[in-house]
Amino acid sequence: MASLTLDTITKSFGQLEILHGIDLDIADGEFVVFVGPSGCGKSTLLRVIAGLEPATGGTIAIDGEDVTHHSAAARGLAMVFQSYALYPHMSVYDNLAFGLENMRMPKDQITQRVQTAATLLQIDKLLQRKPGQLSGGQRQRVAIGRAITRNPKIFLFDEPLSNLDAELRVQMRIELSKLHKDLKATMIYVTHDQVEAMTMADKIVVLRDGRIEQIGKPLDLYNHPANKFVAGFIGSPRMNFISASVTACSANHVSVTASGLQETILPVNGTGLAQGETVSLGIRPEHLELDAAGEWTLTVDLVEQLGGTSFIHGTLPSSEALSIAVNGQTGVSHGQPIRIRPKPGMVHLFSSTEGERALPPSSPRL
Amino acid sequence: MTHHAPDQDSRTLSAHFARGFGLAYTGLMRALEPPFAAIQKRVGIKGMAYVFVAPNMIIFSVFVALPMILNIWYALTGSNRLMIGERPFVGLDNFSALLDCKDYLDVNSCKQDRFWRAVHNSVLFVALQVTAMVALSLVTALILNGKLRARGFFRAVFFFPVLLSPVVVALIWKWILQRDGLLNALLLSSGGERVAFLHDASWSFFWTVFVSVWAHMGFYALILLAGLQAIPADLYEAAEMDGTPKWRVFWRITVPLLLPTLLVVVILSLIRAVQAFDEIYVLTGGGPGTATQFIVQYIYETAFANQVHLLGLAAAASLLVAVVLMVLTLLQLRISYHGKTS
Repeated sequence: MASLTLDTITKSFGQLEILHGIDLDIADGEFVVFVGPSGCGKSTLLRVIAGLEPATGGTIAIDGEDVTHHSAAARGLAMVFQSYALYPHMSVYDNLAFGLENMRMPKDQITQRVQTAATLLQIDKLLQRKPGQLSGGQRQRVAIGRAITRNPKIFLFDEPLSNLDAELRVQMRIELSKLHKDLKATMIYVTHDQVEAMTMADKIVVLRDGRIEQIGKPLDLYNHPANKFVAGFIGSPRMNFISASVTACSANHVSVTASGLQETILPVNGTGLAQGETVSLGIRPEHLELDAAGEWTLTVDLVEQLGGTSFIHGTLPSSEALSIAVNGQTGVSHGQPIRIRPKPGMVHLFSSTEGERALPPSSPRL
Repeated sequence: MTHHAPDQDSRTLSAHFARGFGLAYTGLMRALEPPFAAIQKRVGIKGMAYVFVAPNMIIFSVFVALPMILNIWYALTGSNRLMIGERPFVGLDNFSALLDCKDYLDVNSCKQDRFWRAVHNSVLFVALQVTAMVALSLVTALILNGKLRARGFFRAVFFFPVLLSPVVVALIWKWILQRDGLLNALLLSSGGERVAFLHDASWSFFWTVFVSVWAHMGFYALILLAGLQAIPADLYEAAEMDGTPKWRVFWRITVPLLLPTLLVVVILSLIRAVQAFDEIYVLTGGGPGTATQFIVQYIYETAFANQVHLLGLAAAASLLVAVVLMVLTLLQLRISYHGKTS
């Protein structure tokens, strides 16, 4: 168990800079999830922390000790790979013991550690099997077991569940969360799946193009996204964005119009906004409701009925697409115009410039 | 007036070619359709498979299967006559003549001492050559698999000798090794003495091993390189995270995972070493004396080069070699089959 501090970490491959100065503090025992779309640099960042890739610039400190130039082994971390990376010619026992043998640990101690990890992960009956004889979920457990036996300072997970099917993924997600509570270890987990991020993390780090967009607790990111990217990335189905222009603004309200929509007055501090400025309204599908008296009209394109929830996808008069999540089942059908309105206080406002920051930056929810 | 960019012209030209080719292909297919349709009517759709492999089977029968059968017949018949009809049947006499030895380790106690000298030479050659071949090609593959400047260039360099004809290889090395060759010139100019590289029995044997390794190593290095690259990189990363020392990574991860490939290389190079002939025949002619005369050269000379053409004896010797090679081939097939299934 340990804390981790990254200070302006950069990473380049040749001329191409992948990470542009990452600053991050991870506290002892925290479960941190790096999330972002493909190519955002999250896996590279994890590999830099692991020591598998040298950082081009900046420093990495574990428990305050600078380990930037330490080898992967000397950092005392353990990594669970996306492909599991089990040694195919060794039994499960040997896979778990391999790292300990490298440390020249006495045999009886190795056996004890392997047994403890195997029991914890319920793979103690599989110790004599080869990885080829295991199912995907069992291999995943062995890969995690291999990390546990080494008793590392920090666990690193590189998209560990992406090779499992949906049902198993949900199960392993729960088990990993439990494992984190049992071991009280610091864990860093990379995923492109925002559901994994939301459900498992103490702290989420949203990355885009090698930069951190926002760091925060899962619900903070959901409720107070720092910009349009985070707002769109966190939450499923994703947030709706409607472009609008400011018609009037004062210290306690902003009026906006969007084409085909009535003027809407938002009770928010409009200081710094100018009349005529283009902005984006952000409304989550679950924050829109059907209301015969609603100000907005939507033409329904598609209805997805999941039983417990229904998603209505439609088009606004401005031909912008919009999705609504409705509890329970709905009688709305394709082609039908419906009246809707945003739930009060649930509209986000984003600048169309300055990296599409939330407006005002301090309290984006209106 | 329309103006065509040169790029566009070449595009229309290639389009014309494509169309021309397409027309020719369709024409050919149309022309072939009636006869094939007629054949299919006779033999049915399953029988067509045999029709399509027939040309290959005919060539194989005439040039491979038939000579093999003839070889067996020659081995069972005597005299120096070429026409099979004129050769008297002698049963296993040729084999018993070949195997007639008081002590198989003492060449001089054997009736066919030249055969046994060739066998002894071949066994020593195979042992040395295969060991050197596997060790050197493994080292080469490991180096070529690593982070190396101009890796593509070096990969090509090691493969070039494989592309050369064996005779060319032998002539190049003869030019280097002969009495007034390049190597002796270098020795003399650096104050050394001339060495009879190709006329001293031990040196000559050494160079046959060296040259055949040099000529074929690239091929085996390439197979091993492919084997090394088939080992997932993340296994090495996992080992790195586990703090595994380099030698332990090699013995515990690289070697076990490369083993199926390594065994294939061992068997293939064994088979080829047993068959060694052309380079050595051109390089040393089997000499000095019989110091570098191997089994295939013995067969060739017994059958065709000596004044009396002992075709039966040569055929019997080649059958014995065939049995050895067959065993090795079966072994190789089993190993590669096993490697695929496990």
